[in-house]
Amino acid sequence: MIKLFQKELKKHSLDYLLLFTSGIFFVLSLNLFRGERIIEFIILLSFISFYIIWGIYHHIIIDKFHFKIVLEYIMIGFILLFLLKIIILPQL
Amino acid sequence: MNFFRIKSFFHHLFIPKEENNFRSKLLHFDFLSYYLLLALFLTFLFKNTPLSNILGYATDISIKKLYDLTNKERQKYNLSPLNYNEKLAEAAYKKALDMFNKNYWAHFGPNGETPWQFILRSGYQYEYAGENLAKNFLFSENVVSAWMNSNTHRENILRKDYTDIGFAVVNGTLNNEPTTLVVQMFGKPQENIFNLNRIKTQSLISKEEEQPKSNNLLNKPQILSKNEGQKKLSITYLLFNFNLSFVFILIMTLMLDFYFANKMGVLNLRLTGKNLAHLIFLLFIIIGLLIISRGAII
Repeated sequence: MIKLFQKELKKHSLDYLLLFTSGIFFVLSLNLFRGERIIEFIILLSFISFYIIWGIYHHIIIDKFHFKIVLEYIMIGFILLFLLKIIILPQL
Repeated sequence: MNFFRIKSFFHHLFIPKEENNFRSKLLHFDFLSYYLLLALFLTFLFKNTPLSNILGYATDISIKKLYDLTNKERQKYNLSPLNYNEKLAEAAYKKALDMFNKNYWAHFGPNGETPWQFILRSGYQYEYAGENLAKNFLFSENVVSAWMNSNTHRENILRKDYTDIGFAVVNGTLNNEPTTLVVQMFGKPQENIFNLNRIKTQSLISKEEEQPKSNNLLNKPQILSKNEGQKKLSITYLLFNFNLSFVFILIMTLMLDFYFANKMGVLNLRLTGKNLAHLIFLLFIIIGLLIISRGAII
């Protein structure tokens, strides 16, 4: 399994580096603004938006772009956005 | 017979095969739509429904737990447990209200209010006093562990001079955002009226004793609890664990799907998103969820 992941990472190293960097920024920003609920939500929204854009960009680059794939990224992103919103800002 | 049916059912859900179009059923669009609908339903449900005993605030902090955990930490260092003091609890509550009313998050108010003034106004004549503050934590355990990880806060919790403690957990609006404040106040009552050796723990002590001003409550904060235990199963706790479990199941499904699709040689033939990208995203979301459950302390 790890070998499979390594193979995939090597194949598109720059793209995955970009995703990792955004993830690290997401975690660091959340840690920096701990306790600030609205800022936390904005950071989460930004990370999810980036993830969807990354998905679109990556599939265009590898020549496998399809509406179905974009929808998959959007759905996974929004499921987690709504689930985490209940914890961060339940009353909004 | 039943065993094989159950096994086949789980295979269908988690393992890619011809019957599920070589993609784990749990990752199909119909299932993703169900998750999205469930997430939306929960969002709207908790927007209009109180979360446990708290109106609209996701938190599972109880004074009983904070008190027990604080004394447990003291016991680890062979220190005597602190007695719960209603006057200190009242001072903590008034301090929290003051922060909401004057819109500040600090040990000292914008007009120079000190924590010691709240303690004295509550009728507690102290020899030693201290204050710890926390905001927007989800769980009592996280509040105490965050204090214990900070030198100044730990010093307060483990100070042998203290004999009494009081807490307030109050909800309100701070800087236009819903906030849960935790105020912890420590003290040792004055034994001798002539003993003026008042000791500061966070900053200077003011010896002025002003009369308490009337509270002008525009956005009246809600006190969550004073000294009663929270015996109800907390919805916040359930929601937090539900979110974690959901992400873990999604991660497990993506891994199984990735492994078996590769084994069958269909990984690059399918028209799907990248499992590895989803996994990286979900891992960061889990870390984020754990950070969100921890608020801020001063």
